[in-house]
Amino acid sequence: MKIRLLTSLLMLLLLIFYCRFSLPVHVTPVHARFTKMINTGEVISSWQGPWSCVVDSSLNVLWEVKTDNESIHDGYWTYSWFDEIQGKENFGDCYFEAQRCDTSDLIRHTNTQGLCNQHNWRLPTPDELQSLIKSPQRPGQAHINNDYFPFIHKGDYWTSANQQQLPQHFTQFNSGALAVNFHAGQQATLPYRNAAFVILVSSLTEANTTSQLSSRVINENTSQKEARK
Amino acid sequence: MNRKMFVSLHLIAMSTVLLNLLTGLRISSLDTPVLMYFDAILISGAVHSMHLISGYVFSVLVLYFIYYQFNNSQLSRNLLNKSQLKKIPHKQGYRALSYHKWVNRLGYIAGLLSVITGLFISFDLMVNTLQPLHFTSALLFLLYLVMHSWIYILQHGKGVLVRLLPSSYTHIAWLKLASIALIACLLYLFNIPVKHSLLVSAIPMDVLIEIDGHANEPQWLTTPSIAINTIGGANFVDGNTQVTIKALSNAQETFFLFTWKDPTQSIEHLPLLKTAQGWKVEEDGFYRFDEQSHYEDKFAVMLSNSCNSGADGTAHLGKTPIKGKPSNWHGKGYHASLDNTVRDLWHWKAVRTNDMYLADDNFIGAPASVQHGQRRYSAGYQADGKESGAYVMNWQWYKANVITPKRLPINYSLANKKVLPWFSSAPYKAELDTLAVGSYLPSVLYRSNRFEGDRADVRARGHWRNGVWTLELVRKKNTLSKHDISLKTGVCMWVSAFDRSQIAHTRHHKAIQLQYSL
Repeated sequence: MKIRLLTSLLMLLLLIFYCRFSLPVHVTPVHARFTKMINTGEVISSWQGPWSCVVDSSLNVLWEVKTDNESIHDGYWTYSWFDEIQGKENFGDCYFEAQRCDTSDLIRHTNTQGLCNQHNWRLPTPDELQSLIKSPQRPGQAHINNDYFPFIHKGDYWTSANQQQLPQHFTQFNSGALAVNFHAGQQATLPYRNAAFVILVSSLTEANTTSQLSSRVINENTSQKEARK
Repeated sequence: MNRKMFVSLHLIAMSTVLLNLLTGLRISSLDTPVLMYFDAILISGAVHSMHLISGYVFSVLVLYFIYYQFNNSQLSRNLLNKSQLKKIPHKQGYRALSYHKWVNRLGYIAGLLSVITGLFISFDLMVNTLQPLHFTSALLFLLYLVMHSWIYILQHGKGVLVRLLPSSYTHIAWLKLASIALIACLLYLFNIPVKHSLLVSAIPMDVLIEIDGHANEPQWLTTPSIAINTIGGANFVDGNTQVTIKALSNAQETFFLFTWKDPTQSIEHLPLLKTAQGWKVEEDGFYRFDEQSHYEDKFAVMLSNSCNSGADGTAHLGKTPIKGKPSNWHGKGYHASLDNTVRDLWHWKAVRTNDMYLADDNFIGAPASVQHGQRRYSAGYQADGKESGAYVMNWQWYKANVITPKRLPINYSLANKKVLPWFSSAPYKAELDTLAVGSYLPSVLYRSNRFEGDRADVRARGHWRNGVWTLELVRKKNTLSKHDISLKTGVCMWVSAFDRSQIAHTRHHKAIQLQYSL
């Protein structure tokens, strides 16, 4: 009888231990391609924020992250395509310029600011920008990883490819630049004077590669604690 | 009772009781947090239908046992009365038999009580009163199981298991078991079509029903209503509130009127409090997405072309109820359509959507793909797409301790409002933040006046007065959206009220079926 009693109590204890310690643990996931980075250049875990840039380990570049804080990175600002030589100056809408905005304004301001410790911000190539296209993960969202790239609108985003032949209905503007549309996930050539959105990109130099950035990832435990703070 | 019969009935009793307890306690864990400690052993997933089916099998078994007790003379002869028990020479044997006799009586009472209350609840009858009794009877039955089986094992060791388990397939009364299962299935099939019925009265196109939450149009006075007792919600008196429903329809639109008792008007939504350490979100459960103190009142309506139990099979309870999808933070579960059929969900929110004169048009679909950058995963519960317009939260990034507000009011008199308009505020800058410690800020920012597009299909306005919310709501019968259900005869509806809680809503078992008079 005593052995049976002890055995059953032991089984009860095991059950209690099982209930206590078998609960699933929330582990911060790691994205295969993207990592969040704050403005000072430190990378953070996927559940932390806010972040200013996204490290793209596939292309070895940093992407600008748009905001809704009326700074130069606000996702609502639009720009005409202009590279100081070609294009159309000041035909977009923003608050941070005395006049209206073009792509060179955003590039100049961002490089002056040194976003994420980078000073080589530029317009993405069509291939670079097209690589961000992803089917919407939720209804009504843009064709992009919305959890890493918030405030991206379902509209046209400029690429660096200029002197492109325009479709017939735009022939009076001679040539234009290529844009990627995050509503349909397709490319289109638009006149330089069009007001389109912009997401900038910065090539990582040898002194600042993605592998080096990865080594700066705050370890998971620290980031869990940080997320709670 | 012969051994074959004893073994067969015991087997089916053990399996159904175990299934009933593991599914029933899971359902109860929604509003009994202490049961979450047993999450690892409770069954997860679409447990409502499992509970219903095993409950019916157990009920038939109990009925059969009662029949057997009264009709089988052999059994009657085998039962020992008090005088016979006293004749047993061995003192320990007498005590043991007497003990088990009394324990069995506890089991009979608990079992019978759980069967009777369960049957009533399965038909949505007297749920307010019977649901606590049903839970108590389950706990009593659990106590009985310990006192019965554990003591038997202590007394007789593994010999008990040898006596309980059949030595071969031929030692099972298959025909009896099949009959019990068949009757249980018939009862279940009989239960499925039982629904509440809501008559949708016809009104001409030129009758104006103003969506203002006052319901003072004469048409509301003359149309019939139904009352649904909903249970299990946080903060309501005993967790219950009765929802009264009326419906009107013209050729294009259907109007609904919902009223429910809620003693407190909760129109605070996670307010921001300035402390000596910085701004903080006032909350007591938002970190795990189960806020029950600093939240707004809400009301939800689900619509489906089918009418099954467990919110039409969309309720998947437990911490990790959907295979291959992340665990939830509150341990309660997810809503998702694993059959890939869309259920419509209208979600009225007293702060975030009421001033938009809208309910948030959402849906329950297949479990969504996982977004690595989002800590919260909501499975099939998703919002319809929108063209523009939104409310956004007034923090740059949510943290449990200190946050930085997204925007500050231009005029600090707006700090006491429940919603901060975007264009009456400016981006947060530390140098502009001169509010004193102890000040509050709204956590809800209206980016524009209202949603536009698919998400704005449901117009709604609620009004709280004297402890009662009155909610008027209207939607086109057919929106042509793939995330909406067309309103017509036969469509089933479920309603839930939220009293300052994020997810802890009331619920009811039986669907409400729309019957259009047109």
